[in-house]
Amino acid sequence: MYRKQVRRRRAVLALLIVGSFVLLTLTYQGSRGLQSGVSTIFSPVQSVADRALKPARDLVDWFDKTFDARGENSRLKAELVKAREQAVGGQEALHENAQMRKLLALDRSPALAYSAYKEVTGSVIARSPTVWRSSVSIDVGSDDGVQVDDPVVSGDGVVGRIASVQGGSSQVMLLTDHASAISAKVVPPGATGVVKPEVGNPEELILDFIDSTKRVHGEQAVVTAGWRAQGLASHFPPGLPLGEVTRAPIVDQEAKEQVDVRPYADLRNLDLVQVLTGGSRG
Amino acid sequence: MILTPKIVARIAAIALLGVLLQLSFFSRVELFHVSPDVLPALVVCLALLGGSLTGAVCGFSIGFFVDCLLVEALGITSLVLLGIGYLAGLFRERFEIHGTLVPALLCMGLTLLAELGFAAVQLLFGIDAPVSTLVIRDMVLKSVYAFFLGWPLYLLVRRVLRPALVEEPRVRRRRQPTVLGA
Repeated sequence: MYRKQVRRRRAVLALLIVGSFVLLTLTYQGSRGLQSGVSTIFSPVQSVADRALKPARDLVDWFDKTFDARGENSRLKAELVKAREQAVGGQEALHENAQMRKLLALDRSPALAYSAYKEVTGSVIARSPTVWRSSVSIDVGSDDGVQVDDPVVSGDGVVGRIASVQGGSSQVMLLTDHASAISAKVVPPGATGVVKPEVGNPEELILDFIDSTKRVHGEQAVVTAGWRAQGLASHFPPGLPLGEVTRAPIVDQEAKEQVDVRPYADLRNLDLVQVLTGGSRG
Repeated sequence: MILTPKIVARIAAIALLGVLLQLSFFSRVELFHVSPDVLPALVVCLALLGGSLTGAVCGFSIGFFVDCLLVEALGITSLVLLGIGYLAGLFRERFEIHGTLVPALLCMGLTLLAELGFAAVQLLFGIDAPVSTLVIRDMVLKSVYAFFLGWPLYLLVRRVLRPALVEEPRVRRRRQPTVLGA
């Protein structure tokens, strides 16, 4: 009797292990119908759970942010002084830019491509529990015009791109996901590269493959490059804020052709995001 | 554990609620920049009460459900959690749970093992970016959170599944005999 039980137990275990490998194989063959179905059914439930649990989440966040706020206050004051100086300079540059555009009569430059996008606002309803996969689910999907690869932004900057879409929900691959890579440039020098994550560290990105002849310095802004060439185009419009260079040692720039970047968007505390739909489809 | 349709329904409800709570609450709050992961702890609690088979099936199902909801690669979470569930169940079948800290310690140890399992599977499939050493901090803190969440979770799950437990010790307070005239 006992042996029979042990045999049955082992058989079920073996079946489950084989089942897991079959599921893995199916996923890597590109079959996602089942997941889409389950996700579509449960996305309204997740929306309700998200709203119901918001007060509890805010309470825990309050504790966490109180610890952080102490050190952040003095840093922000110093940044504010610097930002005021930059804002004055920026106003001047904007005025100059407008005049130059008129002169050049650019009616459809890549810098204006952002206007072709339509923003769809969505709430984050779920988040991946493991550090190895950095994705969130949002409550807008193909019914709202969202498509795979659409850029996703928050009030602070780029968040990621749409990885998969169902009727009423979609999954966003965040900048910190190991598979994420976005072409970007440093302003003002214009050094371009690819923004990649450092897995496990949501506060740091790497701007890789930069031109080592163009010097990049700390605190310079990094924006999307939004390239367009030979009928192909980036899904991201140019000029979307990505982050700020935090560390740019000359050794790293010359040897590894990379600098460290801190994302503007707070990728750990996302509530509302905007999907830029209807843009370039390559 | 005696598995009747009612008990199976209760286990399914616990699993469903656990997954929804994880994705909508625990994954989205942070303490010291790390979010708690209650799913390995939940699987451990179910396995400690139900045995290795229940643990493995619950781990597989919870993992499958998580991967479906997040539209991630199916099978990875199932594989890791079924291993955790089976190990916790084996512990329950081979050893007696004497100390009150045993479930919490098991939740902590097996959560760390689950995190290592996720890392191993992910590394097997390849990672296109450099990995930060903060991953280690993340794993350790997640297992510490599992220790603190494990004990209340175990009590809660045991309470819900009490009708199915075979050897549930009932602590009854003995009344002192009343001595008349004393």
